[in-house]
Amino acid sequence: MSTKNVTKKNGIIKIFLDQLPLQLMVIPSVFFFFIFSYVPMAGLINSFLDYSLTDGFFGHSWAGLKYFGELFTDPVFFLSVKNTIGMSLIKFVFTFTAPIIFALILNELPFLRLKKLTQTSSYLPHFLSYVVVATLWIIFLDPNGLINNLLVKTHIIGQSIEFLAEPKWFWWIGMVIDCWQETGWNAIIYLAVIVGISPELYEAATIDGASRVRKIISITLPSILPTVSVLFILNIGNLLGGGPVGSNFNQSFLLGNAFNHSTSYVVQYFIIQAGLNQMRFSFASSASLVLSLVSLIMLFSANKISEKITGKGIF
Amino acid sequence: MSSLRKTREDIAINLFSAIISVIVFIITVYPLYYCLIYSLNEGADAAKAAIYFFPRKFTLDNYKIVFRENSIYLAFGMTILRTVVGTLIAVVCLTMASYALTKKNLLFRKFYIVFGLVTLYFSGGIIPSYLLYTNIHLINTFWVYILPNIYQFFYMLLFMSFFKELPEALEESARIDGANDLTVVFKIILPMSTPVIATIALFVGVWHWNDFFHPAFFITNEKLMTLPAVLMRIMSLAEAQQSLQKVVTNYSKSSVTIEAIRYATFIVAVAPITIVYPFAQKYFVKGMMIGSVKG
Repeated sequence: MSTKNVTKKNGIIKIFLDQLPLQLMVIPSVFFFFIFSYVPMAGLINSFLDYSLTDGFFGHSWAGLKYFGELFTDPVFFLSVKNTIGMSLIKFVFTFTAPIIFALILNELPFLRLKKLTQTSSYLPHFLSYVVVATLWIIFLDPNGLINNLLVKTHIIGQSIEFLAEPKWFWWIGMVIDCWQETGWNAIIYLAVIVGISPELYEAATIDGASRVRKIISITLPSILPTVSVLFILNIGNLLGGGPVGSNFNQSFLLGNAFNHSTSYVVQYFIIQAGLNQMRFSFASSASLVLSLVSLIMLFSANKISEKITGKGIF
Repeated sequence: MSSLRKTREDIAINLFSAIISVIVFIITVYPLYYCLIYSLNEGADAAKAAIYFFPRKFTLDNYKIVFRENSIYLAFGMTILRTVVGTLIAVVCLTMASYALTKKNLLFRKFYIVFGLVTLYFSGGIIPSYLLYTNIHLINTFWVYILPNIYQFFYMLLFMSFFKELPEALEESARIDGANDLTVVFKIILPMSTPVIATIALFVGVWHWNDFFHPAFFITNEKLMTLPAVLMRIMSLAEAQQSLQKVVTNYSKSSVTIEAIRYATFIVAVAPITIVYPFAQKYFVKGMMIGSVKG
C-alpha cells in the first residue's frame, strides 16, 4: 500500500516535471489571482476587526459586529442604499430591454449600408471613457446647452431645466446615459443570434402568409429568448452595480454634486468615501461585504428561479 | 411573386427602422462631432454664436495649447505607455496561461480552472485592494496600473474557447520537428489567433486607455497621471477655471477660450480609440459572441 502511494507520488512529480513548461505558463496566473483576487477577498475579514494602517498585517483586535451595527444605524448609508436600489431598478429595466428592441429594429432594416453605418456608430459611445461621457453630458445638459435649446425651441418645455441640479432628474439621466452608451454594444449578441436563425423558418412563415410583425413575434423573439434569459440571470448579479452597464459608481462620482446629492449618492461611493477619504477601513469593508453578499444572493436566487421555471440554470 | 411586392406594412416597417437607425447614428456620432468642430473653431468666435455643422473660423490654436500644456502632454505619454505595456503583457500572459489550460492532460487543470472561475463571481472590492496595494507598495507606482490587471479569467475563457477550435495537425507536425511548448505558442498558436488576440487586445487596451479609477484613487504623483484623470480635473469647473485660465493668459492670442481647450483635450483623448475600433469590429463582434455563449 505504502509503496504504491510512493510510486504514485513520484508519478505525479514526474508528470509535473514533464509538463514543466506548460505548468510555468499557468502558474503565474494562479499566483496573480491569489494575490490580487483572493487576498482582497480574505481582506473582507477586516469588517470584523479594528483595522488600522499602523498595526501592519496581523495584530488587529477583534471587533465582532460593531461595524455592522454602526453601518445599519447610519442614515447616510440608508440614503445610499435607497438611491442604489432606485437607480439600479430604473436602469435595469431600460438598459436591459433597449438592446433587444434595437436589435429587432436593426434586423428589419433592408438598407445594408445604413445598417452597417448605424451599427458601427452605435458602438462608439461604448469605447469612450466614462470621464468623457460624463463631461459630454454635463455640457449638453447645461441650461444653455444643446438639449435645453432643442427642447425649448420645439416648445416641449417652457424654459430651460437645470437637469443636474434637480434631484428628481438624476436617476433618469443615469438611465438615458447608459442607454446611449451601451445599447449598440449590448445588441451585438442579439444581432448575432438573430443572424443564426434558419431562413427556412421565415420562408415557411411567408408562404403561410404571415405578416412581418407576426414573424418578429413568432420567430425572431422566441429564437432570442434563451439568450435573453441567460443574460438576464447574469445581469441580476450586477443589479446593484447599475445593471448591465454597471455605471452606478461612475455616475455618482462624476455627475453627482451638492445639489443632487439626495438622489445621486450610491453605496459604492459611500464605501469609497468611508474607506479612502475618512480612512474608516473596517466600517467601509463591512458595507462592501454586505453589498457583495446581497449581489451573490441575488445571482444565485435568479439562477434557482430560472431552474424552476425553464428547467435549467446557467451554472 | 408576392414576396417581392411591397405591402403597406413593409413600407411602414422599412421607414420606421430607417428613421430609428438614422436617429441612433446622429445621437451617437454628433456629440463627438460637435466637440471636434468646436475645438477646430476660434474659441471667442464659437462663444459668440452657436456652431452646429462646420467650424466657422478654422484654427489649430486650441490643439497647439493642449500640446504645449505640460500636464496634458505628459499625461498623453503616460496613457500611451500604460496602454501599450499593459496590453502587451496581458496578451502574452493570457495567451500562455490559456494555451496551457486547453491541454487536457495538464496536471491540476480542474483546480486551476475553478480557482479562476471563482474570481468571476467573488471579489473583495476596493477597500481590501487598496490596503493590499499599500502593503505591497504598489500605491503611487506605475505598476499599480499593470500588475493587478494582467489576468482576467473572462478573457482566459475567450482564449480557451478559441484555442480549442484550432486544428491540431499543425501543432503536432511542429512537435515532430522538435518544437517545444514555448515555440509552439509563439510560432504556431499566436500567428493563427489574430481574431481573438485583436479582440482581447482591444478590450484590454480600451480599458487601460479609459480607466480613471486607478489614477484617481491609487496615484497622487503628478508624473503618473493619465489622460482620463487630467480630463476629470478639467471637468470639475472650479479647478479647471483656474488652471486653464493660467494657460489661456500665458498664450498671447486672446481668441482662445477655456471651453475650446476643453473640447480639444477631449478630442485628443478619444481620437486614438475612435480611429482604431471600426477596424477591429469584425473581430470583436465574434469575440463577444463566444464570450456570452460560454460566459
